[in-house]
Amino acid sequence: MENGKNRLLFKDKPVKVLLAKPGIDGHDRGILVLAKAFRDAGMEVLYAGLLPTPESVVETAVNEDVDVVALSLLNGAHLTVFRKVADIMKSKGIDDIALVGGGTIPDEDKPELEAIGVTGNYGPGTPLSVIIDHVTTRAAEARKKKISR
Amino acid sequence: MSPLELKSILEGIERSDTRSVARAISIVETPSMHLERNLIIKGIYHKTGHAGIIGITGPPGIGKSTMIGNLCKMLSSENFKVSVLAVDASSPFSGGSLLGNRIRMQENLSRYGVFMRSLANRGLNGGLSRAVWDAVDILDAAGNDFIIVETVGAGQADLDIVNLADTVIVVLGPGLGDQIQAIKAGIMEIGHIFVVNKIDRDGSFIAIKDLEETLAFTTQGDWKIPVYGTNSLTTEGYGDLINGIKNHTTLAKSSPEFRRKRYREEMRIVMQDEVSRIINRKFNEMILNNGEIDSLLESKTDPYSAARKILKGNSVKL
Repeated sequence: MENGKNRLLFKDKPVKVLLAKPGIDGHDRGILVLAKAFRDAGMEVLYAGLLPTPESVVETAVNEDVDVVALSLLNGAHLTVFRKVADIMKSKGIDDIALVGGGTIPDEDKPELEAIGVTGNYGPGTPLSVIIDHVTTRAAEARKKKISR
Repeated sequence: MSPLELKSILEGIERSDTRSVARAISIVETPSMHLERNLIIKGIYHKTGHAGIIGITGPPGIGKSTMIGNLCKMLSSENFKVSVLAVDASSPFSGGSLLGNRIRMQENLSRYGVFMRSLANRGLNGGLSRAVWDAVDILDAAGNDFIIVETVGAGQADLDIVNLADTVIVVLGPGLGDQIQAIKAGIMEIGHIFVVNKIDRDGSFIAIKDLEETLAFTTQGDWKIPVYGTNSLTTEGYGDLINGIKNHTTLAKSSPEFRRKRYREEMRIVMQDEVSRIINRKFNEMILNNGEIDSLLESKTDPYSAARKILKGNSVKL
């Protein structure tokens, strides 16, 4: 049911997602796999490239008016860096772009991330369909906020 | 969308507020928000006409995005306000798109405060997206001195940029084929400036010579078409390129034909859209409500005569 509603929401303007590995993490094979998978699922995908700062990730997200920023880190810095991105967005009053996380994130870190608005937090081995569904759900929330202002 | 929100977006565009500009572009990219789109364009149109619109086209991988990154840096350093629109292809199968132009320019965008927006062409052929026309108007009204538009660059049929841009730059490279390739129709007829990029590679001298010879017989009014050789990694050749851009932009703006081609093309597209929308709506109504189409089928009327009959018999309110 939810899926059907989402499809209508994105019928003439697909989900737009920014994939980013803010900070110092050069292992990009996983995120490139995600980029292709999201594209094949019908999304418009941006990838922030290597070594973007949290500030430039937010700037890109705003200029491109994405629905979701999907953050991924494999270097253990997720609590610090994801929080930085969330804080910058909050300070700019951005409430219509969703944050989704992923990478090597231990279960005990997930509640803290969810408390700052970063959901999902999927680790290696998660089926792509699970990630795509979650991103779509969060994107739908963000899109509804954008169009109902 | 509430009238208050619309007013806030219009005011934001005039103040060059990036969030408002980004929001406005999203609205014009959303077909179902066409009423809001019309109001936005109506509200800002009087402020357009200042920006020089530079179109960049050429085959994939030739260095368009990297070049734009360099142009942004150099023009910004001269205190020009620059923004970028880059169009990428949507998958005809999934409808999705990898908007990969930004990544090549990101460092310069951040450092020089340049606004950039990536647009998926969503199935439109010709190298542009439906929304790029309106996005250019919005960026123009937001006070940009230059708006750089990068086309999809899939081949010789990506020619729509010629109607949108004031100055079209065709980027080519060494080793793409000999002079016969160079005289193929389309892409050779739309450029005001030609660039051979990657001049550190073999064959670049010959490529420049070939182009110069071919273009000796092409005219763009009074403008003599230059061919520049560039190396986008070292920015060799960019000084001449930027002078060429400035010269042509000045010439284009002083011409009585300035923007005429563009306005006509925009009108044609908008009118075509409106008429399509009305006909589709009417057609769907007919299918649902009355048996007119089915009865034409039963009487074995051919589709051409049937369509004429229906169009004649229906008056449509705009």
